Amino acid sequence: MAADRPEELAEVPLREVGRRSPVVHVVGRIVSARRREIVRPTDGSRRPLLSGLLSDGTATVRFTWWDPPREEIERGTILRAVGAEVREYRGRPELVFTWKTRIGPAGPAELPRLDPESLPPRTVRELADGDEGFRLEARVLTVQAKSVSVGEERRVVHEGLLADDGGVVAFSSWNDFGLAAGEAVRIAGGYVRSFRGRRQLILDDRSHVARRDGAGLPEPARWLRRPPRPIAEVEAEGGGEATAVEGLVVGLLPPSGLVYRCPECRRAVVGGLCRVHGAVSGVADLRARLVLDDGSGAATVSAGRAATEQLWGLTLADARARLREVADPSVLEEQLAESVVGRRLRVRGSASCDDFGLTITPETIEPAEVDLEGAAEELAARLDGGR
Amino acid sequence: MGLREPAWRVTTRELELSTVEERGQGTRVASYLLSPFGARMNRVALSGTLGAPQAIGRDEPSSFWRASLVDPLGAVAVTAGSFQPRAMVELRAAPADRPAIVVGKVHRFVGRDGFASVSVRAEAVRSVAEADERATLAETLRQTLDRLDLIERIEHEPSVADAALRLGGYPDGWIAAAREALRRYPDADRRGYRAGLRPAVAHVAGVRLAPPAPPDGAVRVTVDRPKPPPPEPTAHEREAEAEFLGLVDAAAEGSEDGYADVREVLRRLADRGVGPEQAEAVLGRLEEGGVLEEPIVGKLRRA
Repeated sequence: MAADRPEELAEVPLREVGRRSPVVHVVGRIVSARRREIVRPTDGSRRPLLSGLLSDGTATVRFTWWDPPREEIERGTILRAVGAEVREYRGRPELVFTWKTRIGPAGPAELPRLDPESLPPRTVRELADGDEGFRLEARVLTVQAKSVSVGEERRVVHEGLLADDGGVVAFSSWNDFGLAAGEAVRIAGGYVRSFRGRRQLILDDRSHVARRDGAGLPEPARWLRRPPRPIAEVEAEGGGEATAVEGLVVGLLPPSGLVYRCPECRRAVVGGLCRVHGAVSGVADLRARLVLDDGSGAATVSAGRAATEQLWGLTLADARARLREVADPSVLEEQLAESVVGRRLRVRGSASCDDFGLTITPETIEPAEVDLEGAAEELAARLDGGR
Repeated sequence: MGLREPAWRVTTRELELSTVEERGQGTRVASYLLSPFGARMNRVALSGTLGAPQAIGRDEPSSFWRASLVDPLGAVAVTAGSFQPRAMVELRAAPADRPAIVVGKVHRFVGRDGFASVSVRAEAVRSVAEADERATLAETLRQTLDRLDLIERIEHEPSVADAALRLGGYPDGWIAAAREALRRYPDADRRGYRAGLRPAVAHVAGVRLAPPAPPDGAVRVTVDRPKPPPPEPTAHEREAEAEFLGLVDAAAEGSEDGYADVREVLRRLADRGVGPEQAEAVLGRLEEGGVLEEPIVGKLRRA
């Protein structure tokens, strides 16, 4: 058996794992790892294991490491595993490191050379949840740095939108590639994750970003200033980035108005309790969940504080002052409803579809202007045209 | 299709001419009113001038309000009860004859005399500036013409695939409704309706809204006669209606199935000296106004 002579095993990129041999030789970086103990039911003995994700830029694969060394194995560690067993779980290959597997440290230079040219090209439209090991040529439409807390530490993530001729996708980069809006780039070594029906391209320190000329790529304005589309059409496509719709506000869904959020995670606090952090003292915030209807369909527009203040003409401080007078948040919600229902708005943002229908997270909300004279002329012409 | 029914942009005239209903089955399904012009309505949005609100029913907690919404092509009754508190407050509060947008559910009620009337149970009522009312009418007319164009296209080319129509920008719901409208209203006068939209286009251009004109004959009504807006009830009639409703409530309360028996109500009225003809007239008005309905022959309940 090959496992008996592991030194003869040829190294394979993780993308190839599971295609040929049941025992492989790989080099990869630990993306995440968690130490556990399994209790054997027969004699109650404990056996430690480390499980997590291993990646080499061509693919990310789950691994299980039985009896790992006692010392801490950090995220980012690169290791070489000779004689790892390949199992399949839910149609995806996984690696198991047993006593037969020889594991040793490795350096970044030993990772498979990621030549972007060797990776298969993808278009934005083709990207699907779980995709990895591809290259993408795209235009940066928007990019913004944001500080987030990951576990204990604060990290900066660069978020924005990428587009080619056929579509727009959100991206999130954990590495600062110095991206700027309007740049044309060639990206390799990213992967795609989908959350609540919204696709995101994730870039990290394993990804490659190179500048290129913009030939064949759309100007940002082509996507960012798209005219409004029928809500039913956006819904049929399952949502999308940089989507504009226009319609009447026909309702306001709870919770809207003055809400309280967990100071840790910004989740809504109900009855003084956060779903994750338990009893917390909620921080006041404003939001409005507008039902926007254009006659073809309806969408929920989830407006945050800034947009709600602008629509309502009332700041968070004003709303809290009012609450001291009326002492009933539902009165404030009615007042908000009164000021928004019946308004004609143009909303631009990221749309996603789930069991509750289409939801739009707006980037901009503005009153929709209607040119009455132009509309009357156009309508009269259509009547006369008789078709 | 999403979970929420879209608010179809229609004129009062289109509502009046809609006679085909699709009743949902099961526990919680929507029912629809199909128009000859390709709207399959559960929810609608209308714009126009909203008239003075009238209270229907006697006692405050079960109060029910009605106002007439007038657009350049006709009028429709807009109602709101205590189950639509937001809309009811709006319907009651503001002055009469103001430009407004109304969003709500359509109800079609056929009285015992065969007359049908459509009303809108408001979910949202909004007083707006005149320009906003005209903008909403413009949207209604544009979507009406889009729907008429869609029907015309299918009429000329019945075998056209949905996919081809979708490429033309028509939502799936519109395509299905257009095909159904052609099937259920084969003889509808769609050209006449299109031509009859002229006063509405004039209003978009700024011509002030006149009181609803009687139909000019350009539109041929094939199924039901359109109902003129209900005349204002006199104080005496209001009193009779309230008395009638009180008896209906009492009878419904005492019955096992929750319905009021018509004969019992009529008998009690007779005891109070109200003759059967007079009682029938009051019942007719209440049914037309969408206050009472008779889902089972001889059994009444509040609509």
